Amino acid sequence: MAAGGPSVFLLMVNGQVESAQFPEFDNLYCKYCFVYGQDWAPTAGLEEGISQITSKSRDACQALVWNFPIDITFKSTNPFGWPQIVLSVYGPDVFGNDVVRGYGAVHVPFSPGRHKRTIPMFVPESTSKLQKFTSWFMGRRPEYTDPKVVAQGEGREDQPS
Amino acid sequence: MAEVHVIGQIMGATGFSESSLFCKWGVHTGAAWKLLSGIREGQTQVDTPQVGDMAYWSHPIDLHFATKGLQGWPRLHLQVWSQDSFGRCQLAGYGFCYVPSSPGTHQLACPTWRPLGSWREQLARAFVGGGPQLLHGDTIYSGADRYRLHTAAGGTVHLEIGLLLRHFDRYGVEC
Repeated sequence: MAAGGPSVFLLMVNGQVESAQFPEFDNLYCKYCFVYGQDWAPTAGLEEGISQITSKSRDACQALVWNFPIDITFKSTNPFGWPQIVLSVYGPDVFGNDVVRGYGAVHVPFSPGRHKRTIPMFVPESTSKLQKFTSWFMGRRPEYTDPKVVAQGEGREDQPS
Repeated sequence: MAEVHVIGQIMGATGFSESSLFCKWGVHTGAAWKLLSGIREGQTQVDTPQVGDMAYWSHPIDLHFATKGLQGWPRLHLQVWSQDSFGRCQLAGYGFCYVPSSPGTHQLACPTWRPLGSWREQLARAFVGGGPQLLHGDTIYSGADRYRLHTAAGGTVHLEIGLLLRHFDRYGVEC
């Protein structure tokens, strides 16, 4: 092992957002983006993407398949701030407005090889019943202005989901 | 100095009788350890499961420690609380687990317990809520005064923790 001095290493991530299970919703699309620390920088590939809109399959498992490619390479000197992939799923509500159906985040795996990750998705919820009704009616659900907050740990205690 | 990176998530909790749960977590280390980057403690959001009984937090943990010795290896301690519709919080369980010591990704399931009081306090907890809590949080991860407690089991907290070790071979530790 080389002693002393910061050394640069590369992390290449490729894969796909394969599919989702959302029992209550249909016609969904997803957006992904990466959140990483200050010592990291993407050197190749795309940092964000929006998938197609997909409908549920007719069989028993009711999967929503995107098969959406992810390809990015990072350069870093420090494992702190290891990249996380943040996914946001959107779909139409009863009135046709585009509302958020779930946010989720997971760290990119550490070890080389093939990995499969299943991410639970959550939606922010308003704490007052009146606001829940008006948001259902107007189609304006509570939504994060920047989905990247899902990848951070601070400030979560004030957000019910 | 040898370095340890703890990178992972508090995924969620199962097996609790209450439904809207949040978790306060912290990492305790010995005196030889120094936290270089990251936040040592935090609190997740409150999650109410819509499908199934697992409350998901997906709370990220990213810590970078430097150490001169193996004593005081990091321990993650957790307090799971439930919040009702009025905003009152009630303790659901305490738990702790050691951060793994081999590099790679690990799935951890941390069981939790909560203190039981006298039969009067248990009855009051069933009707009104509340219930005894620990005065000193370090009892969660230390065995010192545990013999005084009578506890009942809570649910399980699931974590996925990845570990990266650096420069341990300079100190003669094989990993």
